[in-house]
Amino acid sequence: MNSKYDVVVIGGGHNGLVNAAYLARAGKKVLVLERRHVLGGAAVTEEIFPGFKFSVCSYVVSLLRPEIIRELDLPRHGLEILPLDGTFTPMPNGDYLWRVNDHARTRREIARHSRLDAEAYDEYGKAMIEMAHFVKPIMSMTPPDPTTLDPKAWKNLAFLGRRFQKLSDEDKYNQVQLMTMSAVDFLDQWFETDVLKATMSASGIIGTFLGVRSPGTAYVLLHHYMGEIDGAFRSWGFARGGTGAISNAIGDAAREAGVEIRTEAPIAKILLRNGRAIGVVLENGDEIHAEVVSSSVDPRLTFMKMIGEEHLPDDFCTDLKRYKYRGSSGKVNLALDGLPDFKSLPGPGAHLRGAISISPSVDYMERAYDEAKYGRFSRRPYIDMVIPSLTDPSVAPPGKHVMSCFVQYAPYNLKEGTWDEKREEFGDTVVDTIAEHAPNIKELIRDRQVLTPLDLERDFGLSEGNIFQGELTLEQLFFLRPAPGWAQYRTPIKNLYMCGSATHPGGGIMGAPGRNAALQLLKDI
Amino acid sequence: MTYDVTIIGAGHNGLVAACYLAKSGLKTLVLERRELVGGGAVTEELHPGFRCSTLDHAAGPLSSQIIEDLNLARHGLEMITPEARVLALSPDGSHCCIYNNVAPTINEIEKFSANDASSYPEFANSFSRIGRVLAPLLSMTPPSIDQPTPGDLWQLGKVGLAFRGLGKKDEYRLLRWGPMAVADLVSEWFETELLRATVAARGIHGAFAGPWSAGTSLGLLWQAAMDGSAIAPAAYPKGGMGGFTQALTNAAKAAGVEIRTSASVSQISGADGDKPTVVLDGGEEIEARVVVSNADPRTTFLNLVDPIDLEPNFLLKMRNFRAPGVVAKINLALSGLPAFSGVNSSEATSKLSGRIHIGPEIDYLERAFDASKYGEFSPEPYLDINIPSLGDASLAPSGKHVMSVHVQFAPYKLREGDWTTRAEEFANNVFVKLEAYAPGIRDLIVAAKVITPLDLEQEFGLSGGHIHHGEQTLDQFFTFRPLIGWAQYRTPLKRLYLCGAGTHPGGGVTGLPGANAAREIARDFKDRKI
Repeated sequence: MNSKYDVVVIGGGHNGLVNAAYLARAGKKVLVLERRHVLGGAAVTEEIFPGFKFSVCSYVVSLLRPEIIRELDLPRHGLEILPLDGTFTPMPNGDYLWRVNDHARTRREIARHSRLDAEAYDEYGKAMIEMAHFVKPIMSMTPPDPTTLDPKAWKNLAFLGRRFQKLSDEDKYNQVQLMTMSAVDFLDQWFETDVLKATMSASGIIGTFLGVRSPGTAYVLLHHYMGEIDGAFRSWGFARGGTGAISNAIGDAAREAGVEIRTEAPIAKILLRNGRAIGVVLENGDEIHAEVVSSSVDPRLTFMKMIGEEHLPDDFCTDLKRYKYRGSSGKVNLALDGLPDFKSLPGPGAHLRGAISISPSVDYMERAYDEAKYGRFSRRPYIDMVIPSLTDPSVAPPGKHVMSCFVQYAPYNLKEGTWDEKREEFGDTVVDTIAEHAPNIKELIRDRQVLTPLDLERDFGLSEGNIFQGELTLEQLFFLRPAPGWAQYRTPIKNLYMCGSATHPGGGIMGAPGRNAALQLLKDI
Repeated sequence: MTYDVTIIGAGHNGLVAACYLAKSGLKTLVLERRELVGGGAVTEELHPGFRCSTLDHAAGPLSSQIIEDLNLARHGLEMITPEARVLALSPDGSHCCIYNNVAPTINEIEKFSANDASSYPEFANSFSRIGRVLAPLLSMTPPSIDQPTPGDLWQLGKVGLAFRGLGKKDEYRLLRWGPMAVADLVSEWFETELLRATVAARGIHGAFAGPWSAGTSLGLLWQAAMDGSAIAPAAYPKGGMGGFTQALTNAAKAAGVEIRTSASVSQISGADGDKPTVVLDGGEEIEARVVVSNADPRTTFLNLVDPIDLEPNFLLKMRNFRAPGVVAKINLALSGLPAFSGVNSSEATSKLSGRIHIGPEIDYLERAFDASKYGEFSPEPYLDINIPSLGDASLAPSGKHVMSVHVQFAPYKLREGDWTTRAEEFANNVFVKLEAYAPGIRDLIVAAKVITPLDLEQEFGLSGGHIHHGEQTLDQFFTFRPLIGWAQYRTPLKRLYLCGAGTHPGGGVTGLPGANAAREIARDFKDRKI
């Protein structure tokens, strides 16, 4: 087979599919190649145990860019977002903190813990929304190269500078703090309730090898206020049918635009001629030629595996090797016979329909991180759980439930033993931790799937198990993502582009990297 | 009699500011709470015949411009700059000594790793190049973001051009390194754990941060800006750090500055009007046209100024200015030179004359920090040691020595007990560590002075016991130090200025905050704004 395409996209994850859809809509002939039998990459639904469908990796949606939903008309292609209402945090002293989207209720709930915090919560929300408005346009721009002499690129930098200058003093102050401080330091200025700070700061560490007290973690707090579903600021949700439904909707939109999608088509090499990418070779030996190759897999796979260091400039290789993955999280998926019963708020109820966060105190979170720093998984980890079957009964047999547990920290590099040896021990730790709050959990578990960072690497092609294709730390963001000088979706190889989470603005089911890359590519060729 | 300027605090920055202001013709008074001048840069008798730098034990390094402008050499400043910068000790008895010169340093590093030895020159060069670009930032007033003046833009333009001159590779290095964890930065250069930890230590010196904390690389860049090397030198004045502030005092007096010691300020009033007054503890009131505070920002605004004079919003931000102290100091009078394992006596005097670093691994430093997060002092602390009597015989009787130990981490707020009751336990813990590296050292101790973070606050007036007057993280840096909108040494009160380490370019004995502040104050006088 040797048909010629305009663009071949490596990887059928959500970014690869978004990228393909936009290219095809601009009239390009596009082929997407996916290694696995299912589309979606880390945004995938699979029936792991008969009758139980899991959002295997990524499990909630909030950051999917509204312009993508609109432009690709995703609701028409089957995307339906169901609300995920609230976050319930059980505490070891028998109390709990339960925040919901209803602001008035949340305020009353927080007032149970601290009246001052209840007042501050409103102010905090307003300030965050201001900040989110400031950051939003940055998400959809191609990062400028600050070292270039090209005045056109400086226009973008100047645009950012002026935007910042126009903020009120108060907002400038907040913005600087958000970009640089630790989540806990930032929240300390607003709140006094430990469990509230612990739970809020948790969003700052997801997917990074940082603790809630590490500088740079405050920024992600903003993301909670940027989640836009159907235009409603600050809400999180499930996709009906699991996270894979998002990928399927994007896939449908792509196909409709004329994209050809092939699964079970693992790629061995990117074909080069005279330093240009001219196509790919599949593992079965098939060669596929294209004008442009667009890779949505991470830089390690793209460059080290599919191209080879010998074809790349030395400096670029050095930068790629310095690019930090350092996966820090695992996932435990549980098939349950019933609902967990929390000591602090017994019985079934609305609190189970949202996120359940095991983050009882700031120290608890920080100690979990401390262990990981020295190469152990946390003995008492931070766990973010959801039970999507309560909102979307289609994912489990009647009366049964699926529970998805995101677990941090699980460092990719263990000081002792291997993840293959420690997998079940890790799973037990997670179940034990949950059982401290919901003792009946152990009797409910029919089956469990434990995904370690090593599994994320092997099964989903995420180097070192990093769910964002590389850490979201300041030195790896914006014009430094993934490598200095190569943040414009281009690469040192002509006609090879990057469009995955390893490019600006990074990971999460956002789709922005795929869209930005497509727009850049179309501008270039 | 009315003064033009009253400066609160005769620390080195207060004295530097006083010198410059007096030289520009302003009648200047400096008020010092303690009975001696110097603030954090003082030498005191620790035991009869033994004198030691009480707090800071190495210069920041001093700005050569200030030394020249104020003619400090003529006023008695004599610098001692040992060839060795730092001697890094490993618990297995091996060591690595880093010198001012690259060549002997390479020999030392080669004992551990040929790779590291070959990376070292490029490491030293990169930091020296980047340091040169950053250096002008130190002596400039951070520009206003809201309304940059033509002068601000000119200054920034110059820095921008210098940045351009670095070339793409170094430009990106600089951008990447700023926010990075210092542990990551050093592992990009070196494979030897001892070397990594020794270099990384500069990034966490005095900070509530471990080497894995993001942003700690900034400390290295700043150090490089000051003297062209990422590794801090052991330079100190003859007579200890007090030698520097003594020279400054001489220069100040020669310029006509009046200095009063044992004059503790309890209040600053009327600074928003035309007649600011400082009130001393005894009730005495001193009027001046301008008040300049060398005290840290929190002390200045939360303790000295009447809160009614400040907007609640400003006060709130000031309360949120982070200054969690983590440093304690132990000064020792020793009956002889301690013998460090693995350092033979023939090379001891030269190798021990720089700083001595205990904190052999990144993980060691990080664990030391971990404790402070939970309100505990480090079971295994990071120690930065100086034996100044090796280079300056005037500090101790012949054959005897003084040793100055900077101990991290010692959090200001202990979760259990308090510093008054736990100081002894704390010191003992440090002695155990010293004994492990220098067996027999405990028997040499003639006298010891332990200065806890609480002492730093109560005796030296450092809010929270923070030696840099506040964390030097990205959000409290340059145009954001101490607060965004107030980084130009001016304050919301028209006739109150800041000149201490809580302003740009921050802590360390450089004298630059004082010099920069004096420039702005003199300008406002000249422009008849005050």
